[in-house]
This record gives sequence, structure tokens and C-alpha cells, in this order.
Amino acid sequence: MVPNTESLVHVQNFRMDFGGTTVVEDLSFDVRRGETFGFLGSNGSGKTTTLRALLGIYAPTAGVLHVDGRPFTPEAGSRLGYLPEERGLYKKESVLTVMTYFGQLKGLSKNAASAWSMTYLERVGLGDKAKSRVDKLSGGQQQKVQLGVTIMNDPELLILDEPTKGFDPVNRRLLMDIIEEQKRAGATVLMVTHQMEEVERLCDRVILLKDGRAEAYGTISEVQNQYGGTMIRVSYSGEIPASPHYEVSIRDRNYAELTLTDTVDEALILRDLVQAGVLVRSFTTSKLSLEEIFVTVYGAQNEMVGA
Amino acid sequence: MAQHNLRTVLAFEVSRTLGKKRFWFITLLVPIAIGIVLALVVLGNMTAADTAARQADTKLAFTYSDASGYVDPAVATKLGGTAVTDDTAAIAAVKSGKEEAHFVYPADPAETPVHVYGVDKGLFGNGAYNGLATQVLITSAQDRIGDPALTALAQGNVPITATTYTDGVEADGFLGMIPPLIFVVIFFLVFTLLSNQMLTSTLEEKENRVTEMILTTLNPTVLISGKVISLFVVGFVQVLVFLLPVLVAYVFFRTSLNIPELDLSSLTVEPGQMIVGALLAIGGFALFTGTLVAIGAVMPTAKDAGSWFSGLIVLMIVPLYALSLVLSDPHGPVVQIFTYFPYSAPITAMLRNAFGSLSGWEAAIVIIELFLLAALVLQVAARLFRYGSISYTSKVSFKTVFARHTGSATRK
Repeated sequence: MVPNTESLVHVQNFRMDFGGTTVVEDLSFDVRRGETFGFLGSNGSGKTTTLRALLGIYAPTAGVLHVDGRPFTPEAGSRLGYLPEERGLYKKESVLTVMTYFGQLKGLSKNAASAWSMTYLERVGLGDKAKSRVDKLSGGQQQKVQLGVTIMNDPELLILDEPTKGFDPVNRRLLMDIIEEQKRAGATVLMVTHQMEEVERLCDRVILLKDGRAEAYGTISEVQNQYGGTMIRVSYSGEIPASPHYEVSIRDRNYAELTLTDTVDEALILRDLVQAGVLVRSFTTSKLSLEEIFVTVYGAQNEMVGA
Repeated sequence: MAQHNLRTVLAFEVSRTLGKKRFWFITLLVPIAIGIVLALVVLGNMTAADTAARQADTKLAFTYSDASGYVDPAVATKLGGTAVTDDTAAIAAVKSGKEEAHFVYPADPAETPVHVYGVDKGLFGNGAYNGLATQVLITSAQDRIGDPALTALAQGNVPITATTYTDGVEADGFLGMIPPLIFVVIFFLVFTLLSNQMLTSTLEEKENRVTEMILTTLNPTVLISGKVISLFVVGFVQVLVFLLPVLVAYVFFRTSLNIPELDLSSLTVEPGQMIVGALLAIGGFALFTGTLVAIGAVMPTAKDAGSWFSGLIVLMIVPLYALSLVLSDPHGPVVQIFTYFPYSAPITAMLRNAFGSLSGWEAAIVIIELFLLAALVLQVAARLFRYGSISYTSKVSFKTVFARHTGSATRK
């Protein structure tokens, strides 16, 4: 794969072995600047390992993993916001102390980091907790603090490993709003999640990992097309003609389901049916949801949570 | 950026350590304990002085028998004594409380003990009997000699000043050893107080699951260096806190505590020795700190790190057990091994430096060895932290960490 000049993240032929076990094999993908990229897969498929190798936490066994054209190091100058799967903060320190510390490490002045932190805490309803110790906060509140630490340097690359884990629906919506804000501000977002509605709402492109290999890769439509494509439900009178553009998967007396076999426009199918003398009473199109595709791909594994 | 981050880590580590009530509780326990002991000593000395003054004012009446003939009756009488010949009757009189005390001087008091019988006046009060019995003999002997100087000589009160030479140059003697020995004390004290903090400093990142956030935010070498320097700063603060009551006691309560007046001008401070001592202490501290930080990076908990920690402590203090060898045979094989083995080198070399048996080239080798090894260990510690601390719940093997192209954690 040739690196896309618009790519902020470039992974090529990445392989990762732990001892004698290969966890990720020959994985290649790009994340383009400004897009939101979904990194999907069941437990143990190698998502977190790939992120850690991308960020230099693991040394890859083979392959190229670049952020902004070079291997990632904290000193390289890329503004990174990383929310790891293993959440953690300095639990014995106050919320404001921890946020200010990380803000300073990300290049902000102490005053700027402190001011930003207070504004953020007010926004997420934790203004009165600024001086509380981190371990006195609930799990969800700690998640909010950690998200704040992640986005406080106005990151150009935001990597979120299961960002909504541990959030209730209200706070999940708040989190999604914050991610969308970051996206609008120009951030490139790479997120691992098992919440398919989040992916469909936020992501421009996705990759599905299975057993350390890419199972599918592309826009959501491309992935949907790859797994069944578009389905047309028709109520009719007459005879459905044969066509190279579809297969008739279900045929009843006045009802049929047609699965498209190529990317032909659905309107052309309707025209062909009418021209063939079929009286069409209703004509609806639909695609497999990502969740249906996920279940199809991971079938027997059937694990929808965890990484 | 690295310097900015180093300053940030240093400020964070120092301020949060010094801001903890627990730190000050533990740190202040020592000076408070020292203060309490000093107060008790002052109180005890004041009581003893009062008691002595009261005893001096109260003349003790006693009887005595003298088989030696050394006791001058005039002296004994002046001190409250009455000569008797029947010891049995005199002892019975003491037993019944009719007499306060009876002393039996034997024929040869230099060889045979003087027997003292008295009415019990408690542990400290009873001491007055012994003092008085001895005083009778000493004063009688002084009168017989008739010359206070001869008496002093006979008692062995002879001040001596020794001057020795090394290679034709006047040696510093004992007073010259004291200043460089201070580095041994400081090294030992600071290490003892901070070793647990050194061991757990990186464990905290692991136990709090902060490792990934840290590793993607700053270079682990910067983090570890910041932590090590912060330990230096915290150790310095602790030493100051510990020294404070000692200084206060010396300046304000020297008389009450019977502290001998120290003539600082008599101490010989040899700049070369002091520089070597300081470099050995700093190099040794850096080496031990780096090693403990490295151990902390690969161990999942402080408990698991404990056995390694004990081993290091043994290596560090083993030269103290061989102190006589360090003094008597500094060039013997045992002391040479202790001098050059990195983890026993700091204290051995600091002792030898103070005793004047560490040559310039030996000092140079040990100092270079300590600093080079400390730098190497810090690098290893940083690598262990980078690739080891991500393994949150299990001990990481060196083989795994240093395998260049192989990952180091469980499958995710």
C-alpha cells in the first residue's frame, strides 16, 4: 500500500508476535486527515495491540507504523490525545492537580492548563469536584476527567479506545458531542468501539479486524456492500424477470426480496421491473446494519463487549 | 520540551510529596522523637544537678574502718566520718538506721574492693555513698603526695596532642576524618529514609494504570530522571528537618545537655577529600535510586519488589561489617572487592576516603564507575518502564523487555 499523502496515520504490513503467538498479521490501513475512523473487532482481535504499537508502547515485530510520516514519539511534535483502554489517573491527587499536570506535559503553561481544566470541569458538571481527590469520584466522573486530559491540548490526532465504556446514556451523548466538536475543529479521530450506532453516527471509514487480520476496510457503505450490499423489498403483481444486477433471495406470491450483486442504481432496477410489465405496489431499499455485519463476521465468537 | 517536561515532573513529584500530611507526619516523627529525648535529657540533667547540689549541701555522716592506713583521719573527719573498729556493730547500726553509712577500707584498696553499707536512698541517692568513700581515699592520697600536679599525673589525667606524618606531610588525624565521614552518614540516612519511595515511585504509575498516558505524553527517561531528582530534593528537605532539632539543641541547650563545646576550627577540612566524598555520595545515590526504580518498573507490586530490595540493602551495608578490615587492611583483597563492586563501593570508598586510604586514582575509578553505571541503570530503568510497566499485573522478564522485535505484554 502506498502511503496516502493525506494520511495522518499509516500502517503497512504490521505484524506483532508475543512469544510464539502472532496477534496481528500483515495489517495495513490509513487514517486520513480530518476523518473519523472506526477500529472494530471482537475481543482479542488485536485492536489495542495495534494502537499501542502505533504509539510506540510496543515494539512491532514487523511493518511500518507512522503518525504524520514518522514513528510516533512524544517529542515528535504531533499533538496527540490518547484515551487508553486501561483508564487511570493519579488517584491520590486532586482532579485539578492531575489535569494541570498533564496539561503542562502537553505543552500548556500552568495557568493555561488550570484555566482550561476549570472550564472543562464546569462544562461536564464537575466544577465542584476540582479540588476533590480523584479516587473520591465515581467511575463515570473519573472517565470524564480522563477524557478532559485527553483533549486538553487541542489534539490533531485523537485516539479513543472504547471511549464510552462506563458511561450512562446521558453522558455517552455528552461524550459524542465532545468528539464531534473535536472533529469539527479539525481533529482526526481514530476510535475503537463496540457501539455500532456510534460508528454509524460518527465514522467516515472503518476497519474490521478478525484474528489479527483485516476482514473489511473502507467507508461504511463499502463495508455494507461487501457484506450483502443493498436489499430491495418489492410488493408486486406479475413476474419478476431475471437480471444480472440482482438475485431473488425470497419470492412469494406478491412479495420478493432482491439482493443486488453490483453497485447499480436502485432506480434502474425499478425502471427495468416496470418495463418488464411488473405492477409494483411498493419498492423499498435497505442495507445490512453494521451490527448485523459484525454479528455475521464474528459469528461464533459473538462477543460484543470488551476489546 | 524535554527540559520543560523535566521541570514539570520535578515540580509535580516534589510538591505532591511535600504536600502530603503523611510525609510530614513521618518526617516530623523523627525530630519530635529527638526533641522528646533531648527534653528528657535536659530534665534529667537538671534533676541530677539539683540532687547533686542538695547532696553537696547535706553533709553525710558515716563511720569507717581502715585496714590500709591510707585514710587520713583528719580528711575523713572533715568529710563527716567517724573511725570505728567493730565493723559488725557498725553495719548493724546502719541496718537499724542509727547510722547512715559505714565504709570498710581493706588492707589493699587498689586490689580489694571497698565495702560500702548504707541506708537505701534509691538508685541515684545510693551513688553518693560510693562517691564519698572514693573521695575520702583520693583526698587522703592527695594530702599524702602534697602536689596537685603529681596527683593529676597519678590519676592519668595527661592531655596529649599527637602529630603524625604521611609522606613527609603532616597528617590530619582523627579530626580530619570527621568532615568526609559526614557523607557516609548523609548517604546512609537519606537512602534509609527514601528507599521505599524510590522502589514505589514507578510502581505508582503501574498501579494507577497511568503508564499508557505517560508513555504517550513524555519520554520515560525524562519521567525517571524527574523522579530521581525529586527524590534528591525530598531527601535534602528531610535531612534539614532532622538536623533542625540537633542544631537547636546545640545552639540553645548545649549546657543543659552536657554537649561538649565543639571547636569547629580544630576540624581539618580537606577540599579534595570533601569533593571526592560528595561525588561518591551522589554517584552512589544515583546508582541505588536507578536500580530501585528499575526494580519497581518490572515488579507488579511493592511486595514483589521486597526481596530484591533486601539484597541491595545487604550489599550496601556489608562494608560496615568489615569496618575493621577497611581500617587495618585497605589494600587487602576483601576491601578491594568491596571498593570496586558497584553496590558495595559507595560506603567502602567513602570510608576509605575519610580514613585517608583511598588514593586519587582509586577514587577516580570508583567515581567514574558509579556515574557511568548510574547512567546505564537509568537508561535500563527507562526501558524497563517503557516496555515493562505496561504489564500491569505480572512480573516482566528482562528477556522479554530486551527482545528487540518482540512485544512484551499479554494479547489484547
